[in-house]
Amino acid sequence: MTAMELHLEPATVLEKPAADSDAALIAAAISGAEPAFRELFRRHTPHLLQFVSRVLGASRADAEDVVQDTWLRAYPALVTFRNESSFSTWLCSVGLRAALDSMRRGKRHIADTLFDEDTHAEPPRTEDRMDLEKAIGCLAPGYRMVLVLHDVEGFTHEEIALQLGIAPGTSKAQLFKARRVMRALLTGRENIDVQ
Amino acid sequence: MYNDDEIELTLAERAALASLPREMETGDMLEARVVRALRDKGHFGEPPVRRRGSLQVMWRIAAALALFAGGVATGRYILAADVPESASISARASNDRNARDTTPRTETRPVRQNETVVAEREMWL
Repeated sequence: MTAMELHLEPATVLEKPAADSDAALIAAAISGAEPAFRELFRRHTPHLLQFVSRVLGASRADAEDVVQDTWLRAYPALVTFRNESSFSTWLCSVGLRAALDSMRRGKRHIADTLFDEDTHAEPPRTEDRMDLEKAIGCLAPGYRMVLVLHDVEGFTHEEIALQLGIAPGTSKAQLFKARRVMRALLTGRENIDVQ
Repeated sequence: MYNDDEIELTLAERAALASLPREMETGDMLEARVVRALRDKGHFGEPPVRRRGSLQVMWRIAAALALFAGGVATGRYILAADVPESASISARASNDRNARDTTPRTETRPVRQNETVVAEREMWL
């Protein structure tokens, strides 16, 4: 044992938990260790912020509000996390609920018809091609949410249905429409033709 | 109605979706904001207090059990030391009781010291 190792104190180890697994950090955070929580935050918030931002299609400030709300919900619920999925996936599902609630608070009429089969999104009238990120942002909220969850995050229709409280068939229908509109936006076609 | 073939992504679309950034840079301000909000809700630092509280409860339970066991041991010791005397007292008390059995039950009478000792002995043995 070297002299350096002898001088290691628990506090020093706690300040550098980067090598710890998520499970160890979660356990420490549950017991009230702030450094462990901060490490967990630094590890998972960049993805959470990107996910929430994409789902909301809103400004960074709005996305950060939802991220804060997500952590405020997630921290007390850490004891319920059972390692059945990755922590990132679990956190995104909490973030999705926070985003939905945010949309309901802000624009109730939109949230109420979010997954209505008859809801159609009209692309902006433009002849210009859009980049993919911008095209996703232009989609109607219901379309955008399903497209991001399925095509970007890799959720299945069953998982999306469970998360959003809709039927798997509705998720498929929303994805179909979302992709159709997205293609139109990317190719700069004004008239959307399914065929 | 919605055929899987119709909504299948092209290779180019898949590649474009896969190349989308997965992370967005977060500033220190967001972290500080979230930690402060959690502190305001009293989350950090609570568990050690809870542990101290539960330790106190455990000590109290242990002390109560020790007191109870001490009481039982003392009672047994006192009764064991009084056995010959209390046995004779018991015989006399039994005779007295038989003699008094003729009196009406509703009549009140003072409790005698001997009867109390017998009752205690029966309780412990």
